[in-house]
Amino acid sequence: MTRRSLQSIARAAVVPDGGTSLALDDIAGVAAITGIGETAVSGPSGREPRQMALEAIAAAIADAGLQPADVDGLMVSGHIADQITPDDFRGYFGTQRPLWFSTDGGAMIWAGTCGHTAATAMLAGKATHIVNVFAVDWASRRAAGTGTPGDWHAGEALKAHLEVPMGWYPQPVYFATFARRYMHEYGLTEEQLATIPLTFRRHANGHPGAVMGDRKLTLEDYLNRAPLAGPLRREDCCLISDGAAAWVMSPTERARDMPQVPAIIDGVGHGRIAGAPYISQQRDMTATPQVFAAPWAYAMANTGPSEIDVIAVYDCFSSTALMQIEDLGFCRKGDGGSFIQDNRLHHTRPRQKGGIPCNTHGGLLSHSYLLGASHVVELVKQLRGSAANPVADARRAVYAGFTADESSTLILSRGR
Amino acid sequence: MMNAPQLDHPLTGPFWKAAARQELQITWCGACNNAVWYPRANCPDCGHSLHWRALSGEGLLASWCEVAAGLNPNFPSAYTCALVSPVEAPHIRIVMQLANCSAEKALHCDMPGRVRFISLQQAAGEPYLAPAFEPYHDDGTVCDKQLAPG
Repeated sequence: MTRRSLQSIARAAVVPDGGTSLALDDIAGVAAITGIGETAVSGPSGREPRQMALEAIAAAIADAGLQPADVDGLMVSGHIADQITPDDFRGYFGTQRPLWFSTDGGAMIWAGTCGHTAATAMLAGKATHIVNVFAVDWASRRAAGTGTPGDWHAGEALKAHLEVPMGWYPQPVYFATFARRYMHEYGLTEEQLATIPLTFRRHANGHPGAVMGDRKLTLEDYLNRAPLAGPLRREDCCLISDGAAAWVMSPTERARDMPQVPAIIDGVGHGRIAGAPYISQQRDMTATPQVFAAPWAYAMANTGPSEIDVIAVYDCFSSTALMQIEDLGFCRKGDGGSFIQDNRLHHTRPRQKGGIPCNTHGGLLSHSYLLGASHVVELVKQLRGSAANPVADARRAVYAGFTADESSTLILSRGR
Repeated sequence: MMNAPQLDHPLTGPFWKAAARQELQITWCGACNNAVWYPRANCPDCGHSLHWRALSGEGLLASWCEVAAGLNPNFPSAYTCALVSPVEAPHIRIVMQLANCSAEKALHCDMPGRVRFISLQQAAGEPYLAPAFEPYHDDGTVCDKQLAPG
């Protein structure tokens, strides 16, 4: 396969001022997701992250039709506590095999970029079957008072000295401030924004195991809620959960002979705002760094938004999801509030009917807060045709990862 | 997680020392004649060292967020937090609370106002003077009511 040069991708990947697209080498078609695994997702459960990670990995390896000894690569998060090590893997599965190991995996943006990291490792002959895993117990930690998702932000020196003492903390405050600006610039209404949590909740209601699976949400319920961080309500903010998800990535030529329909990694993008990580200073408060990531991924995959059938966007907040739908190119900046109406994000309205099904498992708002790892698993299910809320004939999928100052884009296609 | 201003911090201490004198200061590149915010050792554009410069306190309300009681354990009561663009440096934003002395007054993005200094106190810790943004009334006046410490 002929690889595109960086210059060729860069020419095609036009991004606005205010950030950069990282120069990722062309890995289109090198690797595929060949197995997926998940634990149950829940509120505070007392489950231990390493144990959950190993359970998710066991499920993913079995789903791929492999044995633990076939796995020779492991990717975990280098940013979240209590992830597993190669020794944990070997101890649990009773293998002796050396493992190529990377801490550039896990969830958030890395759930997207790990596909690039893994494909690069395969091309270099470092590993064949690579597992990426992410486990989190923030629901248990929050209940026990031993940690919150805000800890990193409160620990970063300049944020700690110039934001926390003013009360610009924790994360709902950041994104509410940006949502307010978006409402000012584009006239987004609370009723329009409600479409995000309402649609994702309907998806969760149809997805077995979703944390909010049995709880309905109406527009009236939503509007009756007092803002938590105005203009955002609690329903606009992600859950806090316990759980784990994993997937196996394999060379595409191997994947053709493996039991599951492969989800081929066609493109990866990684964007970053200028002046990262200080999002208070980002040039455009009404956009996400997805504007710097998506063009590179589309260029690598030689595709564009019109050819995408289903998406999963990092919905830490409803407004962030809305902005990323725009920033992926599905509608013009500022048109998102009207674009998402009329079931356009619901799984029953595919592209040929003008929709773009989004977060069909319920997302971070209503499925679980696995920081995007469940999003990728859900997209693989959509491409296999096995999702609980199926999108008819889904052939190409996009995951939009997010860490506030950075975004990633992962483009997957059905391998057969 | 509580974080009080650190007056001896090499990068951010001067901001808080100035605030204690009721003065708003940010870092500035003399070579580019441009604000650089947040503070850092050198200008990201030209590499020149930065100095601290006092601002007038006039600015625009870039955006704001009404924080409900209980969301932020450091500030358990409800308050409003804002991003403010100073007139001398409209491309940067300074995080501060809103000195919103007129509850019925409708806020809107880009409304002008000025910085005043209020006493903030976190759930655990000593009070400190911090800049707060006070929007102008439509007739150009500001409220002179003394604010309760945050």
